[in-house]
Amino acid sequence: MTGDVGVLAGGGCHIFNGCGFPAPGLQDFNWKPFFTIGSFGFTKPMLLAILSALVVIVFFWVAFRKPKLVPRGVQNLGEMAILAVRDQILRPSLGRRGDSYLPFLVSLFFFIYIMNLMELIPVFQFPVTSRIGFVWPMVFIVYFLYLYLGFKHQGIFGYFKSMIPPGVPWPIYIILVPVELLRFFVFQPFTLGVRLFGNMFAGHLLLTIFTIASWYLLTLSIGLLYAVGSFALAIFVFVLETLVTLLQAFIFTTLTATYIASSVEPAH
Amino acid sequence: MTDHGTGADTPAARAQKQAAAQGRAAGLETGWTVFSYLLAGMAAYGGIGWLIGRAVHVPLLFPLGMLLGLGISIGYIIHRFGRQQAVERAQDHGRR
Repeated sequence: MTGDVGVLAGGGCHIFNGCGFPAPGLQDFNWKPFFTIGSFGFTKPMLLAILSALVVIVFFWVAFRKPKLVPRGVQNLGEMAILAVRDQILRPSLGRRGDSYLPFLVSLFFFIYIMNLMELIPVFQFPVTSRIGFVWPMVFIVYFLYLYLGFKHQGIFGYFKSMIPPGVPWPIYIILVPVELLRFFVFQPFTLGVRLFGNMFAGHLLLTIFTIASWYLLTLSIGLLYAVGSFALAIFVFVLETLVTLLQAFIFTTLTATYIASSVEPAH
Repeated sequence: MTDHGTGADTPAARAQKQAAAQGRAAGLETGWTVFSYLLAGMAAYGGIGWLIGRAVHVPLLFPLGMLLGLGISIGYIIHRFGRQQAVERAQDHGRR
């Protein structure tokens, strides 16, 4: 991160002393690399993504390394986590026949959730998914998975045919084909990725704005009142983000499950 | 791992929760599909309009194509999801 926070941390930049508000922006999402190998720079979001993956792997490994019939301790938590994904995300879309996708959906959900949650954990304080480069690989995995499943279960022709519901007159088919193709191949994966990125990006920006503003307005003047207001808003956005982090992981995984369901079985 | 969920859920309560979760998933899918249709309609026919407009030197065909695409998308959304809801309503009445 460059600029704004550094200016504030240096002290002295407050309202009424001639210092303009160091508004956060895109520069707060660009990190200086910890180290570089050739032209490749290893940055904080990369470290957080690796940490997130490790958290998920280690948690489930610890929970199920010696599973007991009557679960205790971490196994209890692990089972609750898996049952939550199964009952709230997988089964409503795929039913019991979709249980073979449970490991994939559990991994996807918790990986996204932990990456989002990095925004709210002190020291880390950055949602990995607010960098769209971390979102596209997950979108491509989901995209190629449901394409593969669609071709496998319905055949290439059948899969394309299933996109348009039966009973539509043939001239309408011709009109709908460009819309359907573009929706399916471009906008469905596009909206899946951009929504996650956009929500996390906006949330982090809001949190940064109100946090910086609280410090910037903190003076022994009327500014103190504004600072208190800004701080209250920062707390409010923080609480809101605790819900958004979970909700975005939930939406991404639920839509993944519904896309898989529509590939495995044609829509009616 | 048990297959019975957590706590002392009755079968009726479990069925109700399952129905609520199914409704949530279906609602999410419908919402984002509708949004994708709106974008895709405008992009598809806007693109076609832009290509034809470029060929015949009529730039107005680009926005007209977008409007046409939006109209086609809205019509299709009403046809597809309006009919789907009507079928579901009829099935509900049939059950009663």
